[in-house]
Amino acid sequence: MSMFGMEPLVIGDDILDIGSRKAVDRYCGNKAQIGLSQDLLMGRPGAFDVPNVKDPALYCSSHFRSTCGTGDAGQEIKFAKGTTTLAFKFNGGIIVSVDSRATQGNYISSQTVKKVIEMNPYLLGTMAGGAADCSYWERRLNLQCRMYELRNGRRITVAAASKLLAGTMASYRGYGLSMGTMITGWDETGPQLYYVDDDGTRLKGKMFSVGSGSTFAYGVLDNYYREDLTLEEAIDLGKRAIYHATHRDAASGGINNLYHVTKDGWVKIHAIDVNDMHYEFEEEKRNEMSS
Amino acid sequence: MGTLMASTEASVEATSKPIEHRFSPYDFNGGTVAAVAGPDYVVVAADTRLSSGYEIKSRHVTKLHALTNQCILASAGCKTDVDQLRSVLDIRGKMYQHNHRKPMQTPSVAQMLSVTLYGKRFFPYYAFNVLAGMDAAGVGAVYSYDAIGSFERTGYSAAGSGQAYVIPFLDNVIGNRNRLEEKPVLAAQEVVELLKDAFLSAGERDIYTGDQVEIMVVTKDGIQTQTFALKAD
Repeated sequence: MSMFGMEPLVIGDDILDIGSRKAVDRYCGNKAQIGLSQDLLMGRPGAFDVPNVKDPALYCSSHFRSTCGTGDAGQEIKFAKGTTTLAFKFNGGIIVSVDSRATQGNYISSQTVKKVIEMNPYLLGTMAGGAADCSYWERRLNLQCRMYELRNGRRITVAAASKLLAGTMASYRGYGLSMGTMITGWDETGPQLYYVDDDGTRLKGKMFSVGSGSTFAYGVLDNYYREDLTLEEAIDLGKRAIYHATHRDAASGGINNLYHVTKDGWVKIHAIDVNDMHYEFEEEKRNEMSS
Repeated sequence: MGTLMASTEASVEATSKPIEHRFSPYDFNGGTVAAVAGPDYVVVAADTRLSSGYEIKSRHVTKLHALTNQCILASAGCKTDVDQLRSVLDIRGKMYQHNHRKPMQTPSVAQMLSVTLYGKRFFPYYAFNVLAGMDAAGVGAVYSYDAIGSFERTGYSAAGSGQAYVIPFLDNVIGNRNRLEEKPVLAAQEVVELLKDAFLSAGERDIYTGDQVEIMVVTKDGIQTQTFALKAD
């Protein structure tokens, strides 16, 4: 292990990788100098195993996708996915509202997934697309944000955090990852909202909705969104948009988790079952009709 | 009747297009696993049938694996991937114990299993896992996973070929869904009996579930095992 210049202080788990075929890192100059064949390499922690085929990216993107809808119908293994998430900026900060359903094919694998990832007290990330992809890479992003904080003595900006994630996604482009996330927080430039995609897309914006139910959520959001919403109106809008999406999208449902991002960090506002919301809105409609 | 109709349609389809036969690195070996968490215990159950296609390869293969004396991994899916996964987790668990001079706690095992599974994101372990154990506070914990490591702590879980038969039953009886009475607090022995019922029902309707159920009860004092016979058809 010392020939690569790293001296592990504890028994490392890289000994598990001896003899395995790890994904090739074209920037690793050591290999060329020492002239070792790939099979004899001591595995590098952090590199992924790929199938031993001619075009690993093509194989992975056709057999191991965690894609939306029935795109993974022909696959042997189906991964957890499906969702509606939304976030919008208004004068009082940012509202983040999500559902909590995960599906594997036609089966609802969970109704209680935490799709807002509380990365640290001032940064939130949402989860849409592949559940494992989102939770793994956003946890990784949290690590990178913490290292930034320790090295630079100040908090990372939302722009930088989202850029780190977008860069990671771009380097795994074509391998079938599925992630549509919104990175949001309040830094020295104010409240910020970025959308980051699994093909490396990174967009700054005032309002986004991601997931299989996003079109339904956009319909409600576009109709009622104003920058000068009060906090109660904004919370109500976020809640309604998710309700309508879960009502019409089969892959969305469960519980609406809603967060408010403020100057002092994020606050969780509520966790309401969308079925209870249905009866609440029905009652409202009935009262409006009669008045 | 459903299968008869499908085969006549399939035979027309079969002659109209060439069928590609290709090596698949995965085989589905069937079986069901389930776990329920309690206030000071956790009960895990798994059947012991190993199948491949329409054949039963063995009636006495365990799907449960104790990683520490407070934590059990239950896995259904492809047996070779499950065996490899158990090996890797055992090695990592031993290294942790050597480095930290204490066994891994269940929440840490849960996170380790997640990253181990995601480490093979581009060639996944075909293993559907349920992790059950006692958490640091002495309360039962059950974690459900998908094949690439997305996980969540839940009150109960099931995985494998009989998942869709067991989960609705557990939703009703353990999760108290669609019931009007207050949720009862169940003792470990009551949960064992409920799981036996669940596996009996799954065994009736799932071809890959049957033969025997192995049930482990984990408390702060350790693990107790019992077996329960199912139909062998």
